[in-house]
Amino acid sequence: MIDVMTIRFFRALCVICTLASFTVLMGACDFLDATEVSNPRTTPEELADAPEPTAALLPGMRAQFGRALNAVVVATAVGSDDYSSHRTGLGGNEMDFPRGIIPNTSLISSDETGSLGIYWHLQELRSLGDFIIDDVSPTDETATDEQLSEARYYRGMAYLMQGENFVALPTQEDETPVLAGALLERAVIDFTQAATLDGTGEFGLRALAALARTHRALGNIAEAGQFAQAAIDGAGTDFLFARSFDNTSPDATLDNLPHAYLVSRSLQEMQPLPRLDFLDPKYAADDAPIATEKSEEMHLILAEVAMANGDYGSARDLMIQASDLANTRPTASVDDTDQRLNDDLNIRPRSAEILIAADADSPPRGGLVLTRPAMVQTPTVSATSITADSLASVPLSEELQLRRLLYTLRQEIMLMEGRRLQDLGIRFPMMLREIDTNPNITQGDTGTEVRVPEYIPPSNEMDQYGPISLYDANEALVVSEVTILHDMNLIIARDRGLVINNPLLP
Amino acid sequence: MKYFYFLLLCIVVAPTAVLAQQTGTLTGTVSDANNGSPLPGANIGLLELPTKGTATDINGLYTIPDIPVGTHTVVVRYVGFREVTATVTIQANQATEQDFFLDEDFLNMEEIVVTGQGASIEKRRLSSDVSVLNSREIESAPVASIDELLQGRVTGATVRAQSAQPGQGMNINFRGITSAFASQTPVIYIDGIRVDNRSSTSLSQGGEETSALSELLTSDIERIEITKGGAASTLYGSDAANGVIQIFTKRGISGEPTITIRTDQGVDIPDTKFVQDTGFSFPNQVTDPEHPDFGQTSFLEDNFLQNSYFQNYYASISGGIQDLTYHVSGRVQDAEGVQPNNSSTLYSLRGNLQASISEKLGISFIGSYTRSNFQRLNNGTAIADPYTSFQVGDAYFFSGADTFDEALRRFLLPSIKEGVNRFTVATTATYNPSPFFFSRFTAGVDSRYNEQRNLEPAEFDIVSGNDSGLIERFNRDYSVVTLEYAGTINYPREGTLTSSFTFGAQGFREETSIAFLSGETFGLPGTEDIGEAGNITANENRSQIFNGGFYFKEQIGILDKVFLDAGVRFDGNSAFGENVGLQTYPSVGIAYTVSDEAFWGATFGSFWNETKLRASYGQTGKFPDPFSRDFTFQSSAFRGESAPRFDNPGNDNLKPEKTATFELGVESALLDERLAVNFTYYSSQTEDALFFVPEQPASGRGVQLRNIGAIENEGIELALNARLISNRTVDWWLGMNYSWFRNEVTDMGGAADFNVGGSSLRARQRVAEGHPIGEWMPTVPIDTNGDGLLDGSEFQFVGTTPYPTKTGAINTSVTLFNRLTVFALADWALDAMIFDWSSHWSSFNGLERTTLPARFDTDGNEIGNYSTTAAGSFLLKDGDYLKLREVSVSYDIPRKLTSQLNLRSASVFVTARNLVTWSRQSLVDPELGGVSSNSDAEENLSGLELGGEQSSTLSIPHQFRLGIQVQF
Repeated sequence: MIDVMTIRFFRALCVICTLASFTVLMGACDFLDATEVSNPRTTPEELADAPEPTAALLPGMRAQFGRALNAVVVATAVGSDDYSSHRTGLGGNEMDFPRGIIPNTSLISSDETGSLGIYWHLQELRSLGDFIIDDVSPTDETATDEQLSEARYYRGMAYLMQGENFVALPTQEDETPVLAGALLERAVIDFTQAATLDGTGEFGLRALAALARTHRALGNIAEAGQFAQAAIDGAGTDFLFARSFDNTSPDATLDNLPHAYLVSRSLQEMQPLPRLDFLDPKYAADDAPIATEKSEEMHLILAEVAMANGDYGSARDLMIQASDLANTRPTASVDDTDQRLNDDLNIRPRSAEILIAADADSPPRGGLVLTRPAMVQTPTVSATSITADSLASVPLSEELQLRRLLYTLRQEIMLMEGRRLQDLGIRFPMMLREIDTNPNITQGDTGTEVRVPEYIPPSNEMDQYGPISLYDANEALVVSEVTILHDMNLIIARDRGLVINNPLLP
Repeated sequence: MKYFYFLLLCIVVAPTAVLAQQTGTLTGTVSDANNGSPLPGANIGLLELPTKGTATDINGLYTIPDIPVGTHTVVVRYVGFREVTATVTIQANQATEQDFFLDEDFLNMEEIVVTGQGASIEKRRLSSDVSVLNSREIESAPVASIDELLQGRVTGATVRAQSAQPGQGMNINFRGITSAFASQTPVIYIDGIRVDNRSSTSLSQGGEETSALSELLTSDIERIEITKGGAASTLYGSDAANGVIQIFTKRGISGEPTITIRTDQGVDIPDTKFVQDTGFSFPNQVTDPEHPDFGQTSFLEDNFLQNSYFQNYYASISGGIQDLTYHVSGRVQDAEGVQPNNSSTLYSLRGNLQASISEKLGISFIGSYTRSNFQRLNNGTAIADPYTSFQVGDAYFFSGADTFDEALRRFLLPSIKEGVNRFTVATTATYNPSPFFFSRFTAGVDSRYNEQRNLEPAEFDIVSGNDSGLIERFNRDYSVVTLEYAGTINYPREGTLTSSFTFGAQGFREETSIAFLSGETFGLPGTEDIGEAGNITANENRSQIFNGGFYFKEQIGILDKVFLDAGVRFDGNSAFGENVGLQTYPSVGIAYTVSDEAFWGATFGSFWNETKLRASYGQTGKFPDPFSRDFTFQSSAFRGESAPRFDNPGNDNLKPEKTATFELGVESALLDERLAVNFTYYSSQTEDALFFVPEQPASGRGVQLRNIGAIENEGIELALNARLISNRTVDWWLGMNYSWFRNEVTDMGGAADFNVGGSSLRARQRVAEGHPIGEWMPTVPIDTNGDGLLDGSEFQFVGTTPYPTKTGAINTSVTLFNRLTVFALADWALDAMIFDWSSHWSSFNGLERTTLPARFDTDGNEIGNYSTTAAGSFLLKDGDYLKLREVSVSYDIPRKLTSQLNLRSASVFVTARNLVTWSRQSLVDPELGGVSSNSDAEENLSGLELGGEQSSTLSIPHQFRLGIQVQF
């Protein structure tokens, strides 16, 4: 029989448990005000308390410039003849079919959560620039000229890369699309401001080089030449400015993104056109810098200006300078395990003995393919297969041939730097979300459709070569000559002429 | 606030003066009037002295001591039986004997429910449908967790598993899809305490995630009440649009201690119905007769899938002395898993204590601890998912190996382990100062902590692309604190007009803290310490939310036949925008037991015994995500600096989405109480539906939650329960349920259509005006030039959804001699379509897992077959299924035998689960959710998990168990 003491014990136990649970509850959260919550992220009120808001926000633009550059490099590489895209890593091979690119194509439509959205990341970069330049810095007495120059430079780069690669797009909410030419004009304004604010400082000099590039895209022959020369005069004959990356950041979008698809990949995402094989992979490390301005480009812009002025002799000399400089740039060793496979698991050219012809009418050339998988030595800044000697041997009367070589030099020296799509004349459409959310834009409006010049061959022919089957069942090389279906450098040299003469602005 | 707690403590612990008076004892038995068997656990209470109750012991015996001398009304209640009342006279220092015989309550009209009512109330008074699962149903079910238990047992519930891996929960939703922004999982309360119900609590490692539902065990459960939204859930306010599941745990019964020991031993056998083994996927890659894999057609079946031994041990002790009862239990469970690296172990401990401090004051304390450890595999869209890689021909390619054995060895190198610690504590104080006034205060906390560790040795680099190994650690630390006070005034309780007025306040605060650490590049093999990595990254995510409100509800009874109710809840929430104040959720309803009218019996006789009609209207809400109202910046580390960018755009007008439900129902007993029918029609409108609305990209800002949409659901629920034979020899029941719903987004509020899952390039789960949420919108081959040949492709809606819109179940139970029971349950679902990722993966290896149509150019020339991207519609597979879910046989060993062994009772169970699946295709198991977190649906920010897309996903195994339970 249970005695009274036992009953009291159990009663006491119940009371103790009750009290203990209340204690746990009170410890579990602040019960004096259970409604109080604290957002762990920064709000505008908290930003307003920052002692130097421009300085606090500027690293955000640096990082966003990195994201935008990443996205531009990948999208323009696979959208052009430089690379074909394989397996699933880049949204399938949609970008290899330029006329099939639509506002919902993965690399175009990818939003802020992805790392690949060329459209998104350029808009965010420009918008961050608007916020800092227009909203924050005017009331920030601590903002310096150097900081403002840097912010102007990044926003100018957003406008420049938009103007080079898109038909038209809005630059603020509810705006009707601004045409590429007007975007480039805005880039000119920002770069001019940046150059004025920072004089001979880093961003002042970068702005000069960027102005040369912008004026080339606008077709302003004199200004392009003037700023290219000014950049060389200010920064030197072998200058190099680059955006560095950060492989220690938890934010993977701040790694060198091309590296992820060229080297540290699980699939065969990006495969170079066989005649560019010797340049791949350009970014051997996941924090490798991507060049944004370098002397080689200035030489090539000056060469183009000379050609536009009919001075093919000076142009050839400048091209030789560019080639010489490019081939003195550093290289890196890469343990490249890439199998060089097509989607159907056919082995692409991967043996040094293979000769490549630029098209059916061109002679096969060696030295363009490296043996893989193996330890390979590849350029990290610039390199070209067009040597000074071969350039010097081209008669000045062969103007088409010299223009073709100019494009070949630009393609090889600035591979994976986001220039090729513009040389081809292809312009992307804006992303689907912009069309869907802007009440003043409907599908079919200017800027909502890809623009592909007629001289661009159909389907994915820019990436095609033959024969496809080069190796036997034991992976031994059986065919050692490969012909690229189209020499796109010849096609644009012939059908487009010079970009600076024919900027194809919409 | 401080005074409030002081007062509260005073209420709980204050000794209540009891005047010395003469008392006597009431004692007796409670039995089933049909067969005379004792009813253990029946509640006996005194109407005028609400705390003077007790429950019968294992032999149906009860004793209530210390009853004041005089005449009292005794009420006896037992689940599934009609309430009985009797008037007894207690004499000083004497034991008064009173036995009770209870008749079965065929429609369970007398069953008491609490959830959503504020107070305890008989089901006959309810104007909306509340489902109840009682302990008998729960104990006999061969399931381990609550979500499994609901499968097939709750009308209108769609319950689908994710895969065969341990640690996962089911995908549960009631009455359609009411929201496009968040999970449809109902909120879950245990003994009045809100608990973690999140279905994604880990890194996904390829799409499948672990769930907080997996530790909600079925042991020690007395009763589960389910409200599926609408008026029945209104008192839960901004938290109730998905419905509410409330679990009541077992309490001790006064009397000698009862010790229960149970063990279940068994085997899980892999279900290979949906396996396309290496005989399909590798013949074109292994053509050399000398190759060790040549002719190997069943590598997965032979070398990967395995039978898994399962064991479960449970022990409890339960009893009580006078006003004090206790129930303490422990459980250990272990399984190997039907795939490698899938073992699991679970421990749980629970204790419930109740005490009557005085006649007016009672308290109870409930505490439980669960520890769960399990291993997992890469899965779904992960390239290191062995199960998929071998079926789609990628095993060599992704592993870099030359043989199946080596490929599998490499795929199994990662160790993905997770451990969960979960504490749930609840305390309830009841204070009933008069026979007319009842009050209850509940406070408690559910705290769940899990840690997932993923170790990828350097040897795995060839598969993963890591640099010298990887260690990932993911911690989620969750707690929710609940407080509720409810008071009920029942006056008048008898007569023509009765009234029950409930008022209360309820609030909870939820905090989640997630930390993610990753270390790559390890110099030394064997280390499991992230600190030793050459490259370490860390991240965290924290959220807090408070929701609180108060409510009133009045119910008026007229002639004990018609019951009118009206209620309202006012809610505030820390996630509401600055311009948003208290939110109001009203409800009204009527219940009418028309069969209580005199004409009924005269007209229908025993053909139509009983009928209750009910109608109700009620609003419920769903609050927005914590902090989604704020405009914020977010920084990441970049080259030694903190680099900010725009984060959430902000919305000062953010408020809950509100679902208003109109419900009509009828509950009838027919054919001399042989057939029970429960039919409900409902129609619900969700206004201010929350959509993640993309800002214009030109703004540079992302996606903002806005109240701009409207969603409509409409459906029916029908449950039939037939007693085919019922006598002392044979008791044979047949039950079925059926539900159908229609869902439509009626207004997008000007927002662009968006995806909530699927493959954005091939088959989108789309949200668009005029279509069901998540309706499939795949690419469909089309003829663009009218020549009758397919030459193009476009996205089209195809009229089907990733979730079924018709579900149902059929069950039967036969009990012989009140001793041997055979039970079987089958459930089915119709109209879903499942996206088969593996057909897409297979196409890369030239495998025709799905045959795609020939494609022509516009000149009529055949140019090969369509790609999986251009013909996504062909990758949608028929989701109809019928599963023989459970067959169980239980046998109660005769008392003659058990008494010789000094046992009170003993039972043997033989059960089988997931026995047979019938489907219209054999590529994907239609029940499985498979990939739930899908990065391919790039616009999908929503927490909505509609299921319906899979890589190769292993079915829940066939489970066979032998169980023995003894009590002494």
